[in-house]
Amino acid sequence: MSNSYIFRYAAIMVILVAVILSSAAMILKPLQDKNIAISKMRGILEACNLQPTAEDAVPMYETYIAREVVIDPRGEEISIYDMKSKQFITGNTRAFDVNLKIQLKRKAAGEDYILPLYMYINQNDTLLVIPVQGRGLWGPIYGNIALKTDRNTIGGARFFHDKETPGLGAEIDQHWFSDQFKGKQIFDENGKFISVRPIKGGVGKLPENQRIHGVDAISGGTITSNGLGNMIEDVMGIYVVYLTK
Amino acid sequence: MQESINIFIKSIFIDNMIFAYFLGMCSYLAVSKSVKTAVGLGIAVIFVQVITVPVNYLLNKYMLTPGALTWISPQLADVDLNFLSFIMFIAVIASIVQLVEMIIEKFSPALYNSLGIFLPLIAVNCAILGGSLFMQEWEFENFGQTVAFGLGSGIGWALAIIAIAAIREKIRYSAIPGPLRGLGISFILTGLMAIAFMSFLGIKL
Amino acid sequence: MSKQQKERESLFSPRYRKLIRNPLSIENPITVQVLGICSALAVTTKLKPAFVMALSVTVVVALANVVISLLRNGIPPRIRIIVQLTVVAALVILVDQVLKAFVYDVSKQLSVFVGLIITNCILMGRLEAFAMANKPWPAFLDGIGNGLGYSWILIALGFFRELFGNGTLWGYRIIPQSFYEAGYSNNGLLILPPAALILVGTIIWIQRSRNRSLIEEY
Repeated sequence: MSNSYIFRYAAIMVILVAVILSSAAMILKPLQDKNIAISKMRGILEACNLQPTAEDAVPMYETYIAREVVIDPRGEEISIYDMKSKQFITGNTRAFDVNLKIQLKRKAAGEDYILPLYMYINQNDTLLVIPVQGRGLWGPIYGNIALKTDRNTIGGARFFHDKETPGLGAEIDQHWFSDQFKGKQIFDENGKFISVRPIKGGVGKLPENQRIHGVDAISGGTITSNGLGNMIEDVMGIYVVYLTK
Repeated sequence: MQESINIFIKSIFIDNMIFAYFLGMCSYLAVSKSVKTAVGLGIAVIFVQVITVPVNYLLNKYMLTPGALTWISPQLADVDLNFLSFIMFIAVIASIVQLVEMIIEKFSPALYNSLGIFLPLIAVNCAILGGSLFMQEWEFENFGQTVAFGLGSGIGWALAIIAIAAIREKIRYSAIPGPLRGLGISFILTGLMAIAFMSFLGIKL
Repeated sequence: MSKQQKERESLFSPRYRKLIRNPLSIENPITVQVLGICSALAVTTKLKPAFVMALSVTVVVALANVVISLLRNGIPPRIRIIVQLTVVAALVILVDQVLKAFVYDVSKQLSVFVGLIITNCILMGRLEAFAMANKPWPAFLDGIGNGLGYSWILIALGFFRELFGNGTLWGYRIIPQSFYEAGYSNNGLLILPPAALILVGTIIWIQRSRNRSLIEEY
């Protein structure tokens, strides 16, 4: 076979593959984006103690998340999006479109960053949902923590992981674990930021007055538990300037 | 720098390609009958890994991630070529393996004689493509870290294959039940070694 | 074989049935041919990802076999491997895109291992050994057979690891709470990576005890 045949063969092959792949990617992209958006919405709603399914996540999100807020490093609200009127009150960035991971990276690199927040309002319950993001044993862990109106007591929390060890670290996405966070406080009585962290061997190991800042760690999942504790402390720590305003 | 050293150590002992992710098992089992060949293949893997991971990192950073093409023109900010990652990575790996083979052949025939036969095998070694895919997923921050990761994961793989080859050379003289001979016992041995390597999880990095 | 005989050979003649049956046992890609273990073991901690992975590999092997078999007379021998890799990589990208669009949660768990199907040795092994020399229909059957041979090992591993390691199957609790209250506890070792290797070793042991012709000389 001649070289020109090989060249023609390769060229046709490359063009064909490129066309097939890019059209598949273009057709499937909206579905993929929708999946990502739905799983993000479910995470936020579950932190507010709701049980959305893949189908009703979008309407539920639009009903209960009244406002999306974006803050700057000084804790100023630079953008507020009102869900009911679907309009910006100030600014022009939706918190939902902010990628927390990228913003945390920008912060670590000393660049300017913004942070997302979600306001949940339901009859007599108002919660401030703060997304968190960190690293477990095998990969990323993430979640949302909902604070009550005193901006101190946790009203609900939910965590997720991609590939922690099943039965051990993977337990962080179970309700028994995240339900422990309800009623815990992130500030002490003097208003100092303490955070809430999983305690190896159980909360009982802490002195009486500290127990409000701890939950039971997962036995056998120490590294994931520690990663989760660091995640809450690190990310919530950045929001402190806004929470204490 | 500190972070790079951490990544290096972690990729050898904790995120070991064989013991934690089972990558490159095919050649690991096929070429581990003698220590000499295992060392040859191990070095070849380190060599290729330390080149392909950083090259794919650059490719990923300047071509594949969403908005990566802005360096050509700001209008391309919306282009997302991420779906091409697999095909680009494997193409880079295949061509680098070919290139390395030609360079070694030209400049060091002695090295070529000992490594040469393994190089073509490496293009389809899962550990190599796996290294590039992990690099993409773990989002290393700079070039130095990817070099550290490439070197570390290559060394980790080499360590594993040399260790199993040494054991298999000795085990030849043991009375192993017939059905377990060869493949079966190699799997179980690898499992036991993986348990030993799990104790490195306790290292605080 | 004369032309007449060929025409009479039905779609599921004994020869073709063997193409499916053999890879399930005496030519099993994992336990006998030692191909394709790479992408297999890391996803078997649970049944669901193991099943999706098995299905993806079967689809990719079967389609790649057919495509290469159709192209077999036109492929320039010098760029044969690159052509095979391109076909496989393109199919894997398609599978990955479909998984991301329709079973998003599983695709997150599979993470990089979908991509690693490309370097799964079963693929290149079957393309080189079978598809390059056979017609599309037998190539398709060969792909399905090898895919299934790979699948049952994966699914068996996922089954045991999830049931005894986590007490669940497909995410549903199987071992009742009363067992745990009576002192039963999950075997944590099974969900750690080493257990996958030891389980495969055990499967090989059982298989070779039953079929002594597979025993290695050393």
